Amino acid sequence: MNNSEQTSTLSADTSKEVKQTTSKQLIAVIFILALATKMFLQPLFLVKAAGRDAYIALAIDGGFDIIVLIVTLIAMKLSPDRDFFELTRCVFGKVGSRIIVCIFGLYLFFKLNVAVSETVSFYSKNILTDLDTTLLLLILLIFLVGVALHSLRALTRLNEILTPVIVTCLAVLIAIVVATGFDLSNIFPSLRNPHEFGVALSRHMTWLGDFSPLLLFLGRTEMKKSTVPLCVVSGTLGSAISVFFSVVMCAAFGNVTSLVDASTNLSSILQYSLGNVYGRIDLVAEILWSVASFIQNALFFYCVVRCFEYVIGKPLHLVTSLGVGALLFTSLSVAFSDPSILSLLIVNEITSALVASFSLAVPVLALISAVIARKKEGGEKSGQSGGNKNAIRSTE
Amino acid sequence: MKQLDIITEKFQSESVVTRELTVVDKKYGLVIFPDLSDASTIRAIVVALEAQRVPFPLDKIKTEVLFECECEKNDSLEECIRGLLSGDVLLAAEDEDGYLIINARSYTTRGVVEPPTETVMRGPREGFIEDLKTNLSLLERRLKTPDLKVEKIQIGRRTDTTVAVCYLSSVASPKVVKKIKKRLNQIDIDGIVDSHYLVPYLEEKPLSMFSQVGVSEKPDVVAAKILEGRVGIFVDGSPMALTLPFIMAEDFQSAEDYYLRPTYASFVRVLRYVGLILATLLPALYVALQNFHYKLIPVRFMITLMSAIKGLPLSPQSETLFVLLLFEIIREASVRMPRAVGMAMSIVGALVLGETAVNAGIISSPAVMVTALSSIALFTVPNQIGTMSILRLGYTIIAGLTGLFGLTLSVLFTLHYICAMNAYGAPYLAPFAPMVYTDFKDTIDRAPLPDMAMRPDSIPNINRRRQAK
Repeated sequence: MNNSEQTSTLSADTSKEVKQTTSKQLIAVIFILALATKMFLQPLFLVKAAGRDAYIALAIDGGFDIIVLIVTLIAMKLSPDRDFFELTRCVFGKVGSRIIVCIFGLYLFFKLNVAVSETVSFYSKNILTDLDTTLLLLILLIFLVGVALHSLRALTRLNEILTPVIVTCLAVLIAIVVATGFDLSNIFPSLRNPHEFGVALSRHMTWLGDFSPLLLFLGRTEMKKSTVPLCVVSGTLGSAISVFFSVVMCAAFGNVTSLVDASTNLSSILQYSLGNVYGRIDLVAEILWSVASFIQNALFFYCVVRCFEYVIGKPLHLVTSLGVGALLFTSLSVAFSDPSILSLLIVNEITSALVASFSLAVPVLALISAVIARKKEGGEKSGQSGGNKNAIRSTE
Repeated sequence: MKQLDIITEKFQSESVVTRELTVVDKKYGLVIFPDLSDASTIRAIVVALEAQRVPFPLDKIKTEVLFECECEKNDSLEECIRGLLSGDVLLAAEDEDGYLIINARSYTTRGVVEPPTETVMRGPREGFIEDLKTNLSLLERRLKTPDLKVEKIQIGRRTDTTVAVCYLSSVASPKVVKKIKKRLNQIDIDGIVDSHYLVPYLEEKPLSMFSQVGVSEKPDVVAAKILEGRVGIFVDGSPMALTLPFIMAEDFQSAEDYYLRPTYASFVRVLRYVGLILATLLPALYVALQNFHYKLIPVRFMITLMSAIKGLPLSPQSETLFVLLLFEIIREASVRMPRAVGMAMSIVGALVLGETAVNAGIISSPAVMVTALSSIALFTVPNQIGTMSILRLGYTIIAGLTGLFGLTLSVLFTLHYICAMNAYGAPYLAPFAPMVYTDFKDTIDRAPLPDMAMRPDSIPNINRRRQAK
């Protein structure tokens, strides 16, 4: 009888879940993060600016994020036991680490604002037009605060249980879209005005960095040999699916700008193009998107709370969650009161440059820290073993 | 006699009887609690004592006179009183310290019958009763192994209830057993009158809506759970045995599943999952679609619905909540009423109230139908009725206020809450979250027994294999 047969692998005795997250859960999280906001053309301003070439913009965006993902995964591989906070503390000291985590937390808070505003806008503009945005925001905040009160394990388990549902829904949607067909010629000619496209893209980098919350998985995830390649595949697949649906939408409507103003969801297009026969796909599509989007919001919120807790130095889950929730509510209330404030804030070269550099710089920093920490650890170990050798020699 | 006075002084009740008898030249004293003791055993003790030719000391009586009785010499007054209150007879002797505690316990118990909460078409029909000894014998008859450990603990300052912790030492996780025993030992309460009294002390989250302890009245179910590495807890005076660790998937399993053909058992299990989802979400979806997302309702169905709700004074949310509450009231009344009256109540509730309300135009027939379907579906998983009834009401209110947005978020909130539950090393939502593929053989699916060679991975255990390869 081998070892695996002797004890329960999940049990308290020898737990498969010794780490906060299993390898499978990480793969599922990456898939959802790749899919969430990009699905149904959520980066509204980017889509508006890129017009019919929106799918190219999303593909470039996705490609950049995959590079960020790879860097993050390498950092994870190099630091299997030390989390992001420990890693920065080890390399930059206590104060330096807090400053870095604080800046990272602020960056995530900005991203959280963008993600939550998109989710709430989507509902308030397209689905629940009669309802007050504040009410929707409050309900979403209750969920986010609830998530931040529990561990990362709970959140990744939730994601794990929902991913098969989302994948099934996606398969149904893809099957219907492919079976019904769409006129791909509508998306051509592509890049009729490359200069304008380039300018638009440079002003809309805010939507980069969807994988940034993964830094909180550092040292808390069970890393197997196959984890990194499977995670990359998962991320690529998620991005590819969102690009596929944006192609479908661009092909169905030609110029997406008018679509964005009216209704941005895929289900509307399906209803438009397929008539009422497949009308109920709306429900599937909406829930599918909502769930992925809510989980993404929850991940960002969770990370912001944990970063601020680290900066404060006390694990006050409830207080910090409520504090971050209140801050988010205030900032988004201001943003929703005048939508031009939000667009001015997030669509400009400076914000774009900052977000783009942050989304890449933070994983690179984590990677460098992991390498340094590893070297330090190696040095300590060799020092110890050297000491032992000396001890042996002296005994001899 | 001094020893008898010490005991009688402790009791306010007149139920305690003392008798003195002299054998040759030595005086003996008996303290009896006749309500709890067997009269014939007492008579036999007296006869045996009087038959002595040479009066023995208490230690010798145990081996020479009452050798067929279960007796023990004890010097602790507390222990002796405890024994007396359990129906034992105390024997004291002149010029000797302590008492001989003789087992003469006798309680009126009911017979072993099929439990009303877990009726089956196939399989054993035995159910636990209120007598601990009988319950343990029912279990021991099924688990004939020296590995079966039965550890007894006394809980309750005034009830002094015996609680038995049963597990297989070669299978159950020692950490889990230790944790359970620790929690039981920490209980300092006046009394335990049923096993359910222990539940909040054993649960990780006692305020939670979700039950975190398994409850069963059937020996075959408890034996099967112990075989999987769980720990069974029996309480004297309760027919309900508790099992730990507990995962939510257990509520979807029935003892009968293992006595039916695997295909049909799997089909029934899928129905239970679908039933629970329908039961919880159907009224909420009905309200959300009508209030906010009517475009999603197919046109033909929409026309039928419109004609049914035309002229109703109540909003979709109000009428659905009204019907749901009406149903809950009727259900509660039917359960509490005597059986014969309860039946009449159900008929009055279902036919008269429902039908009249629809005819009077207070509520619509689709709302009644949705609630009825949801309520019937709820009964597919009886252990979840309480929790899901509350969730159903909550979801309906939220869906009526914020449509699918709020509904999706509240379902996610609930799921996340359950995902965070992790009692005794067993994730509450396992094998779904975390995914434990090997355990799917006995979750949605009910694989044939030869295919289930391993014990569930979701339940902590120290011996995974239960069948030879």
